[in-house]
Amino acid sequence: MALGEVNPIHLDPAAARNAGFPDIVAPPSFFVVLEALANEALRSRGERTVDELIGSDNRYLLHGEEDYFYRGLVYAGDEVVISTTVTDFYNKNNGALEFAVLASAVDHVSRGRLIDAKRVLVHKLPGQLEP
Amino acid sequence: MTDLPDLAEARVGDVLPELEYGPITRMMLALYAAASGDHNPVHVDSDAAHAAGLQDVFAHGMLSFGVLSRAVTAWAGIERVRRVRCRFSAITQVHDTITVRATIAERLVLQDETCVRLSIIAVAGGARQTLKGDAWVAVE
Repeated sequence: MALGEVNPIHLDPAAARNAGFPDIVAPPSFFVVLEALANEALRSRGERTVDELIGSDNRYLLHGEEDYFYRGLVYAGDEVVISTTVTDFYNKNNGALEFAVLASAVDHVSRGRLIDAKRVLVHKLPGQLEP
Repeated sequence: MTDLPDLAEARVGDVLPELEYGPITRMMLALYAAASGDHNPVHVDSDAAHAAGLQDVFAHGMLSFGVLSRAVTAWAGIERVRRVRCRFSAITQVHDTITVRATIAERLVLQDETCVRLSIIAVAGGARQTLKGDAWVAVE
């Protein structure tokens, strides 16, 4: 697996079931995959993704902060709803750094809230020195 | 559920085993892009990285977060992980090895559960701190 994960509950459905889970268990960083899938679905419906909404530019985009509250596990086969709100925008260093703050929730139809996420995305505009 | 590690003996000041990931090759970045759905060219296409004013491709931030959270789940079992947060302070470059170091910083009660807070850093290329964060884990 791309993170070097070796725990079979994240890789093998039989191992996950043997361990008492209904199917493969998503690791904590799986939120990015959920968001990517949601973005694909939005694009296929002709709707704007959060990236497009905030005008994020792949050339300058960095993660600032990530904060995930894990309320319940996510399993292979789950159908979830992910909703994201832009909660803040600000600049620093005379506009050399731009920040967008996003709050997201991942809900399962019967198991309820699985993840609450707060993320700060940063634009580091060109011409600035490396930290 | 899984045989959860016994955290009853966990004490403030305990240091977790270090976790290493890397050296990060371009292939690993390509595989992470495919796995995560993040196809930002600056992580896999050196022409795109140069056009963005960078020396070379660099690792996805969430790859580092993923390795950091691996250290937490390996120690506690994913069922016990309640919250993971981190702040990014430096880029992880291609060819870097990521090292995750965690210490038990605090014992506390969260929503009626006894938990510990791990204080965690990730370091790239041996010395450059890239992430600083915390993880809250139930110890039962």
